[in-house]
Amino acid sequence: MKSEGEFVNQPDNTAFTQQRLPAWQPMLSAGIVIPLFTLIGLAFIGIGVALFITSQNIKVQELDYTGTATSSPCFQCSGLSIQNCTCERNFSLSELFEGPVFFYYGLSNYYQNYRQYGVSKDDYQLSGDTTYFLKPQSYCSPYQYSNNKPIVPCGSIANSMFNDTFRLYLLVNGSRKQVPFDGKGIAWWTDYNIKYRNPSPVNGSFAAAFDGTTKPVNWQKSAYELDPTDQANNGFLNQDFLVWMRRAALPNFRKLYGRITGGDYSQGLPAGNYTLQISYNYPVLSFGGTKKVVFSNVSWMGGKNQFLGIAYLVIGSLCVVMAIVMLIVYAKYKFPDNDDA
Amino acid sequence: MAKRGTSSSKGTGITWEVRANCRYFHKPQGRKSFLCFRWGRYADNLIRSYKYTALTFLPLTLYEQFQRAANFFFLLIVIMQCVSVIATLPWYITMLPLLTVLTVRGAKDLLTDLGRRRSDAKINRRPCDILTTQGFTTAQWKDVCVGDVLRIHKNEVIPADLLLLCSTEPHSLCYVETADIDGETNLKFRQALNITHAELTSGRTEELLLPFDGVVWCEEPNGQLYSFRGELHWRGQCHLLDPDHILLRGTVLRNTDTVYGLAIYTGSDSKILRNCGSLKVKKTRVERFLNKVVVTIVLSLLTVALLLAVGCGLFEHLISPNIEVLSAIRGNATAAYRGFLTFWGYIILLSPAMPISLYITFELVHVVHCLLIGWDIEMYWEENDRPAQARTTSLNEELGQVGHLLSDKTGTLTQNRLLFRQCCIAGQIYGDITTKSKLLDLSWNRFSCGGLCFSDQRLVERLRERSCSESREFFTALALCHTVMSEWKDGLPRYQAASPDEEALVCAARELGWVFLSRTRDSLTVSELGFTRHYHLLALLDFSSKRRRMSVLVRTPEGELKLYCKGADIVILERLRKDSPHQESTEQALEVFAQNCLRTLCVAVRRVSEAQWTEWSHTLSEAATATVHRETMLEELHEHMEKELMMLGVTAIEDRLQEGVPETISSLRRAGVKVWVLTGDKTETAVNVGYACKLMDPDTRLLQGEELRQLLQSPTADVYFHKDKESLIWNTDKSGKAAIVVGGFELAELIKTPEMGARFVSLSNQCQSVLCCRVTPGQKAEVVELVKKYSSSITMAIGDGANDVNMIKTAHIGVGLCGVEGGQAVQNADFALAQFSFLRRLLLVHGRWSYRRICSFLRYFLYKTSCFALVHIWFSLYNGFSAQPMYESWFIALYTTTYTSLPVQCLGFFEQDMSAESSLRWPEAYSAGQRNEFLNPLILLSTLLYSIYTSIILFFLPVGVLQYTDVDYQTLAVTVEMSAIFSVTIEMILETKFWTKYNFATVLLSQVLFFLSTLILHSPRLFTAFPHDYVFFGASLNAFANPVVWLVVFLTTCTAVLPSITVRALNVVLTNANKHKIHSSEEPVMLQSWFRRGVPQRRSSYAMSQGKGFGKLMTLGTGPLSTVPPLDGKLAKDTVRADSPQIAQAEAANGVKSNENKSGNVQHGITLNRTE
Repeated sequence: MKSEGEFVNQPDNTAFTQQRLPAWQPMLSAGIVIPLFTLIGLAFIGIGVALFITSQNIKVQELDYTGTATSSPCFQCSGLSIQNCTCERNFSLSELFEGPVFFYYGLSNYYQNYRQYGVSKDDYQLSGDTTYFLKPQSYCSPYQYSNNKPIVPCGSIANSMFNDTFRLYLLVNGSRKQVPFDGKGIAWWTDYNIKYRNPSPVNGSFAAAFDGTTKPVNWQKSAYELDPTDQANNGFLNQDFLVWMRRAALPNFRKLYGRITGGDYSQGLPAGNYTLQISYNYPVLSFGGTKKVVFSNVSWMGGKNQFLGIAYLVIGSLCVVMAIVMLIVYAKYKFPDNDDA
Repeated sequence: MAKRGTSSSKGTGITWEVRANCRYFHKPQGRKSFLCFRWGRYADNLIRSYKYTALTFLPLTLYEQFQRAANFFFLLIVIMQCVSVIATLPWYITMLPLLTVLTVRGAKDLLTDLGRRRSDAKINRRPCDILTTQGFTTAQWKDVCVGDVLRIHKNEVIPADLLLLCSTEPHSLCYVETADIDGETNLKFRQALNITHAELTSGRTEELLLPFDGVVWCEEPNGQLYSFRGELHWRGQCHLLDPDHILLRGTVLRNTDTVYGLAIYTGSDSKILRNCGSLKVKKTRVERFLNKVVVTIVLSLLTVALLLAVGCGLFEHLISPNIEVLSAIRGNATAAYRGFLTFWGYIILLSPAMPISLYITFELVHVVHCLLIGWDIEMYWEENDRPAQARTTSLNEELGQVGHLLSDKTGTLTQNRLLFRQCCIAGQIYGDITTKSKLLDLSWNRFSCGGLCFSDQRLVERLRERSCSESREFFTALALCHTVMSEWKDGLPRYQAASPDEEALVCAARELGWVFLSRTRDSLTVSELGFTRHYHLLALLDFSSKRRRMSVLVRTPEGELKLYCKGADIVILERLRKDSPHQESTEQALEVFAQNCLRTLCVAVRRVSEAQWTEWSHTLSEAATATVHRETMLEELHEHMEKELMMLGVTAIEDRLQEGVPETISSLRRAGVKVWVLTGDKTETAVNVGYACKLMDPDTRLLQGEELRQLLQSPTADVYFHKDKESLIWNTDKSGKAAIVVGGFELAELIKTPEMGARFVSLSNQCQSVLCCRVTPGQKAEVVELVKKYSSSITMAIGDGANDVNMIKTAHIGVGLCGVEGGQAVQNADFALAQFSFLRRLLLVHGRWSYRRICSFLRYFLYKTSCFALVHIWFSLYNGFSAQPMYESWFIALYTTTYTSLPVQCLGFFEQDMSAESSLRWPEAYSAGQRNEFLNPLILLSTLLYSIYTSIILFFLPVGVLQYTDVDYQTLAVTVEMSAIFSVTIEMILETKFWTKYNFATVLLSQVLFFLSTLILHSPRLFTAFPHDYVFFGASLNAFANPVVWLVVFLTTCTAVLPSITVRALNVVLTNANKHKIHSSEEPVMLQSWFRRGVPQRRSSYAMSQGKGFGKLMTLGTGPLSTVPPLDGKLAKDTVRADSPQIAQAEAANGVKSNENKSGNVQHGITLNRTE
């Protein structure tokens, strides 16, 4: 009758415009839901058990050396005025502590995640841009200038760098044998290789690049002389500096200090008596903080972590319980109805 | 003289002065406006429905947009982010989304406004003839000024409210169609003042008009369509004006060649525009709710920020002074000051909980829903090539919540086409309404114009064989007893009737061979099967709604006196002779017709003896001159004549409903929508249509008049409910079906006090329906307002004419039908449909989907944003309340816009919990929307609690696990970010029930986007370029390589969504158990009860849809349309001239003269009195 041309406003008859898109409409039923819950629950329990067992096999040795108690060996160092104080802590291992052993230092009540603390650094400076050596960004305040000299590396984070050092001795036949810490490669690869860059040496001298600047207020040594033993481990690429600059997430944290891998200790720490010599520099008592060191070996899932396994177990059990509840509900509602029919 | 008039009329409120042909008087007083200031008196004839000008667009749109709480809030956030001490996030994080939102919204408003301008311009540019010194010149509507004399031609629309000065027709009569004003399509006549008629038509009208200098004093402009008070002062005399002298803007001139009028009210002063109400911005309930939610969220954010600030103050006071590192950063600032700064910092940090992209996405979802409505091929009407159209793009979800549908009748429910479908002659029913048989062959009838929907060959045979005298009498009665006027066009008679019923009847008689040819003051000419017969008209006892019948007393060519009478069945049946045959069979026929919802009229005849006539006419002339009790005397006389009738038969006319109206209404009723009909038409018509379109069941009781008043006025609510029940018990059906029928003025009186209004609405909620008859456009809007005020439900108004505009604007949702009656309704409507029946799909399918989609969308949106932002609260406990963000700032910016927005949009676009077919099949599912089951405070509270739970899990599980490792802040951040993304995605997967390819794609895409952009943002290239902005460099690579991170993410995600999964699973288990019950028992019963047909309690009591007829004009002889009766018995083709207005006029003029000569004419008296 009418030609097609007359229906100019006729809508397209496509699946999209007519809302008839082919679609998958999952139809859940009790027959799917209850087994599904059971399966999920069992899977979680499985993972949880595996994690728990793995975690159980990991050894951890923690030593607090804050020195709050008068009896503790580091008590004499904990006073504020004492400089260059060294104290020792003894401990013994009754069996082999399998390697590789990681050695951490830990602080508590220390707010590395405080916002203004976190932004108090100059990323341009730390990436080796020398123009910011003489003019640090204002984020660094109040550690931007010291005695009218720009601070490099500026800012709170760098200024508050942890500066206790540790030496570990194994007592063999009454004599001390040093257990070496491997402090190399403890920082993130990206931090060490890309994020932080040292300034290029001026006239072949690395220190000359820092001319006209001053070290952070709390530092005893300048950035370019942090590690006198290894020239490459200086400046912004010092491993300990890099570890410190990577802010901790929580107020109680631990940071890697070194690994015990070398020489006689590649299998781990043998049973015996050990002495940890601490050069005690970092004050924490004023804010009720604690300091500790942690020896730990690791598995595929990192350090000891029972919480994870337990959490999986709890959630898994919850799922199973829910499945049972649902089964009961289903039975209660369904079967009488069937009788009626 | 005019001055005197001024002083005398000032006191009565007649203060509006219009001087004819006097532009220099009116122009300086023209109304002007600048910004919001207005001055001046006379509006020009320009329609301005647009809002913006080039100058005001920017400030106005910004003002409007910042009225939205959310936009304003974000503006503050942006400002705050520019203050460095509290800027916890970079400024661009909020600025960019805010700008996008403002631009998109502004552009949309601008486009809508331009559309309005275009449609305004179309109206303003319509041509019209204005009298200038050079005679009539064609100008545009917008040029019309108060005091101008206009010339309007046939079928033109009147551009302003005019005082009718004269017309080309005798007595300066003219006919107008007021469909756009009140929805009635029958013609109304207007007549000029005698003085202007006499003076201005005495010569060449156009020359006489030029010096016309009358002054009109009248009321100030108002919106009362049916009242007008004024005086015309001309040549020293004062003439009173009434509404019959006024041509309203928007009416259409019909059957009148030309009229001349004086513009009194123009533009926004005109009565129809005064009636239109103002442009209102509609907000949906969901949107209002959302605004409240936003305010609540902002308030809780402020509270939380305050608490955190207090925490910060305490931390700064107690702890941080001891920490040398932190106290150094703090410097000299006091703890309180730090707290103060932190307060603002936290407000910025927590602001993503109140998502800015929500509004823009919300709008996008709306736009897509609107497009889908326009694309729906099942709402496309081929006949006028019209798809459905959503004109307002923000009301979609309310389509799913409509509780009251207020519908116009004429042109909306009905096609406004009356068809002669069946008749019963001498007890035998002819015609069949149920089957569709082929049309009759009427080629033997050369007057046939077609259009007869009647197919009973038996009747035609009987008529042509002249075997049945009753059937011939029946059609003679139809051809004689009416007030129709004929007009010759192309050799065929065209009829103009005051009521469409009459037209249908006379047309049917014409098709079947009894052709009404013409009438003069005292004669009627009819061609009976080709033989022309002249009947002498002795008396015309006109129709009135009280009498519900009309009669003509004629002298047949044979000299017999016969009274033909037609009227409502009850009225006729009680006036029948006792021995009148076929009474029983006729009553049965009436019942059959009533069941089919046909409009019936009984036709009867009475032979009157010469003696009776002489006596009666004598008494009549006495009564006509009587001074007291004339009315009652006349009434008695009429009674006296209209008795001892012989039943001839019954006509059954179908008031053609629009296609699918009964099905639609019954569907909507099942869906729990209360359908009200508001019509300017008469009660009987409305009630009949009410039954016909399944608005009421056949056994529904009507509550009206006194009964309704008593119910409403009974002293206490208890009594009234009780009484209500009692009254319903009288009904044979115990289900208590009732419907309210109320007239406009009655209603206005009933609901005068607020208390009564509330009662009326609560009573109406117990009834099936409400019919409001005889309501003006303004009253229609008041009814809508009433429902809005006293019930919490969403109202929807649907109509097709200008008389519905007000109601359409007032209702929550206005729907315009693009019918025959102009585009006014559509212009002002939120949705435009081509057919009433599309409403079913619009509400039950699109509305329902929209509501569910938008509720899901909003719930999910609030969930995903708040669970993500609240993590900051928990983190603050660990970072010394320092407003340290938990996430990377880029993640905060991209989270709502990129990582999680696409799937939720797909949910908003495509989600279907039921297919369109099921939605239509089970309308009951619609009522969930009316009860607002998917987005109420309870639902929202549970959503918020759930998001708080999720945020706790998102933070504490990773912290709990990772505290035993040497985790750094960035790794923790990446872990929480991943957990958040996965949790909300899984929640989305759970929420989606309808997985199209787009849903799959967007869910996948958003995950891919997250990983991709995370890798890109953490890439060395960006870091080396901007070390300060991309500080998370390397974090994701390290985190992704760490198995513990993945284990934590998996655990966190599963735990976060566990409650949601559990609730859904429990739902599945419980409903599965119940589903069985529903399917086995409830539904069949429900369907059964639905389809059970009640016993009809209703007797056919339906008469004509007619007010006072043209009877007065007819017998006055002033009717302009009477044509020359053919002279000889056999009609030769060439005697009937194609178009003979001149002759007609001459004839009419003769009639007038002869009429005037016979002063004290008896019939004159009768008709005059009767029609008053």
